[in-house]
Amino acid sequence: MVVITGGGGVAVCTCQYSRRLFCGGPTLSIPRTNRTVDSQPALLIGCTTSRRRITHTRTSSSSSSSGGGRRRRMTTSAAATSATETLKKGIAEFYDQSSGVWEDVWGDHMHHGFYEPASDVSLSDHRSAQIRMIEESLRFASLSDDSVQKPKSIVDVGCGIGGSSRYLAKKYGAKAQGITLSPVQAQRAQELASAQGLDAVSFQVADALNQPFPDGQFDLVWSMESGEHMPDKTKFVNELVRVAAPGGTIIVVTWCHRDLSPSEESLLPDEKNLLDKICDAYYLPAWCSTADYVKLLQSHSLEDIKSEDWSQYVAPFWPAVIKSALTWKGITSLLSSGWKTIRGALAMPLMIQGYKKGLIKFAIITCRKPAL
Amino acid sequence: MRLLTHNMLSSNIKGVTNGFPLLIEAVKVVEKEVDFNEDFLKNMFVKVEWKALVEASRTLGYTELPESAEASMLDSDEFLRKFHHALLELHLEDGALVCPETGRKFPVSKGIPNMLLHEDEV
Repeated sequence: MVVITGGGGVAVCTCQYSRRLFCGGPTLSIPRTNRTVDSQPALLIGCTTSRRRITHTRTSSSSSSSGGGRRRRMTTSAAATSATETLKKGIAEFYDQSSGVWEDVWGDHMHHGFYEPASDVSLSDHRSAQIRMIEESLRFASLSDDSVQKPKSIVDVGCGIGGSSRYLAKKYGAKAQGITLSPVQAQRAQELASAQGLDAVSFQVADALNQPFPDGQFDLVWSMESGEHMPDKTKFVNELVRVAAPGGTIIVVTWCHRDLSPSEESLLPDEKNLLDKICDAYYLPAWCSTADYVKLLQSHSLEDIKSEDWSQYVAPFWPAVIKSALTWKGITSLLSSGWKTIRGALAMPLMIQGYKKGLIKFAIITCRKPAL
Repeated sequence: MRLLTHNMLSSNIKGVTNGFPLLIEAVKVVEKEVDFNEDFLKNMFVKVEWKALVEASRTLGYTELPESAEASMLDSDEFLRKFHHALLELHLEDGALVCPETGRKFPVSKGIPNMLLHEDEV
């Protein structure tokens, strides 16, 4: 969010295009077109960078105005809270709208597949690649299958429609709770769990930054591609650690930007621009690096902190998603979903660009909470 | 929402020191049959807050659970069946979970609790 101070006033900039407190950078737009669905490429080619349309709302902190009522003074911290609320609402609405389309085309796992580098994959391999992503993550974290040591209670933070929750609960015979900001997702996740007879798997609408659980509940704290949505990484990690049981394992798989070199204070301007465009489409707050996560975990005296760059193992994913979006089923599903979903689909080439530039990294970070 | 879930939830409103267990306001309660799994129950027993489970099951109209329980009771089939029923077969479909300190209600709709905090509760 941009807050400009000048002449005793505070201005809050709202991007009229995305209707949220903008995170800078130009936004994608589609010019109005009368083209039919059959000319599929037109939907993608029609994207141009629009001019930023910004509405300035000025609230003055000086009380020199004559007559009239009070002027509301927006402090920086109140504005920041408001930005977070707007983001959370955007995330919930995005997933309320998009989950059905995703499930239709890709199934119940809303995360990247894990592939052999430089392999040739067909559309049918992706489901098993998504399962492999879960298994490789558990292996990286050295999670045990042993009947005594395996996790008995699991929390799935940012659970989507519960793919991971159900998979992990089945694998370990454990109970699992999934939390999501999206009521539609929570409902769908619960439906699927009930249909599969998974009585120990349940879902709640809740905020990962304020998890509705007492301390130390979970042997496995799982965050599969949700970290990128968290506006306060410190709070996010604090909560993961808080709800982990002594001896429990934390696994975070998330999108990060490249680590900064020691001489760098921030990313390059064109790198920031690219990420900002992606932020708009996917309701993401500012990105951080894998090193940032490691630092946060280190501040909690956790054991066995490990991280790895898995970008090479997910390379086929976005091209595959784009391909699936361009099928007849993909296009019709998108068109019947809504603008937020379509905009998300249009941003997919940006993700590929980001990976190719070495700017976006697919990272895994795991650790263990010390036993008592 | 099953009582297995209720046993894991707490109110984390800013300033609340003891947000567990949440009180229950039941509007619609449903009983759903669930397959009996002895191993699962024995595993869960260690993790369950017993008093909270007893209170919650009473609110939902089930009064068969003993006030207190020990691991040795897991040898009794009768006990296991009561435990199973309370933990897994009673569902709160509609109602609310109530913060024991502030009285704030978290709505439960179609079996899904909404635990999102308001801006001023964070």
